[in-house]
Amino acid sequence: MLEVDSLSLAYGLHRALDKVALTVGSGEIVCILGANGAGKSSLLKAIAGLLPSLPGKRVMLGDRDLSRLPAHRIVECGLALVPEGRGIFGELTVAENLLLGANPKRARDGEAARREEVLTLFPRLRERLHQTVRTMSGGEQQMVAIGRALMSRPDVLLLDEPSLGLSPAMVHELFATLQRVREAGLGLLLVEQNASESLRIADRGYVLENGVIIDHDTANNLKRKPAVQRAYLGG
Amino acid sequence: MTNAILTGLMLGGMYALIAMGLTLQYGVARIMNLSYGEVLIAAAFGAQGLFTGWALSPFAGLAFVIPVAFLLNLAIYRVLLSPLVRRARTRDALEVDSILATFGLAFILQGIMLSMFGGAYYSYSYLASPVHLFGETIAANRLAALAVCILLGGSLYLALTQTRGGTAIRAVAVDPAAAQLVAIDVARTAAFTFALGGALVASAGVLISTFLTFSATSGVVFTMKALIVVVMGGVGNMLGCLVAGLLLGVSEALVASLIDPGLTLAVNFALFLVVLLVKPAGLFGRASR
Repeated sequence: MLEVDSLSLAYGLHRALDKVALTVGSGEIVCILGANGAGKSSLLKAIAGLLPSLPGKRVMLGDRDLSRLPAHRIVECGLALVPEGRGIFGELTVAENLLLGANPKRARDGEAARREEVLTLFPRLRERLHQTVRTMSGGEQQMVAIGRALMSRPDVLLLDEPSLGLSPAMVHELFATLQRVREAGLGLLLVEQNASESLRIADRGYVLENGVIIDHDTANNLKRKPAVQRAYLGG
Repeated sequence: MTNAILTGLMLGGMYALIAMGLTLQYGVARIMNLSYGEVLIAAAFGAQGLFTGWALSPFAGLAFVIPVAFLLNLAIYRVLLSPLVRRARTRDALEVDSILATFGLAFILQGIMLSMFGGAYYSYSYLASPVHLFGETIAANRLAALAVCILLGGSLYLALTQTRGGTAIRAVAVDPAAAQLVAIDVARTAAFTFALGGALVASAGVLISTFLTFSATSGVVFTMKALIVVVMGGVGNMLGCLVAGLLLGVSEALVASLIDPGLTLAVNFALFLVVLLVKPAGLFGRASR
């Protein structure tokens, strides 16, 4: 469903991403493994239109070409990003964040039902609808961020380090939730430091090193590769 | 005493309304608009012209002045300010650039008004009949102005807090980068909000013209007061505008009636200083990260 091809990105002379290509199908969880500074966050931001990439890239979502659209139009096409550091509106309440999540026109139909689904997915948010987000715990803020992204009725959801700063129990809960989101037919592209958890739920994975994709395989195969075990699974 | 408090509440409501527009322009569009008071005076001249020329009541004149002010401010933003927005690398840089640009704009607007109307003071008499309230008499135009002020300020507040569009405007003030992620066109929202702030201060100008004398050069006083109220209430905070505006208005009126009218500006700044000493981020502001 999501097809990225020839995506390159440079910070000054430093080439952060070099001709990256990847795909995410519907109902599929795809993870990107890579060390700090490998370009994982830049990749997600470039797909979402938040970073200007070098000419020649091709980003297709279904039959829509996102390559030249600004970030706010890309959301309208059905691609939502949950950025690292969450990118939620800390001064606003949970309810207001969810209201804004449904700001894209594509999300207006069935908004109430979707809100209900999100609150069922994250029951804790229902209790705190009128709390200011900045006063909530890291895990709860992550729920707001994912819930807000889901409110935009995305076809593909990009998640940048969703487990960052969460307790192991919360991480577990979060990944179980992501499984349920996938069952609804969404494609998930996941960037994670926590490689063992993400390979556990992922169908496929890409290994990104110094801005280049050096390996691509099913999650089960990746788990067994010695290079992957050494670099990302602490084995 | 009662009269002083009534006058103070009315003045304070005006200050709050003026400050709301400035805090919108500054909080969302990141334009520190030093030509703000000139827009107010221009609207006052507009209302005066409509009243003396076409015998149009200032309150009916609002229906004309508000959309015109909105469009003119939109044009100012698009022509004069959006090049600054495009070249600014950070929001702080935009703030400095906008101060310089709008400072110049203030002189241009003032010059145009001086050439059209000269330096004389203008006023007109509309609804000047006395009304008895709480054992005091107060001019009907002041009460009417206060009522319209509450109506405008209240509906703006509700629109900003209760609708999706208003929440989107606040979201841009909180985090413009994240706003893009929920399909908000930040550049368009900033332009719209700047124009909205301009329309708001123009409506305040119309209301003020019904009971105060004004001249082509009195804009700067209103810019100063709006700045004081915005900073005192906490930048970007609507409730802060209301409280700080009322505080300023009531204290001014009390000092003028109980001690000496010459001391109002001194009281303004004394109050401002005290608030900043006790709460540097303003009454409702949070210390910046």
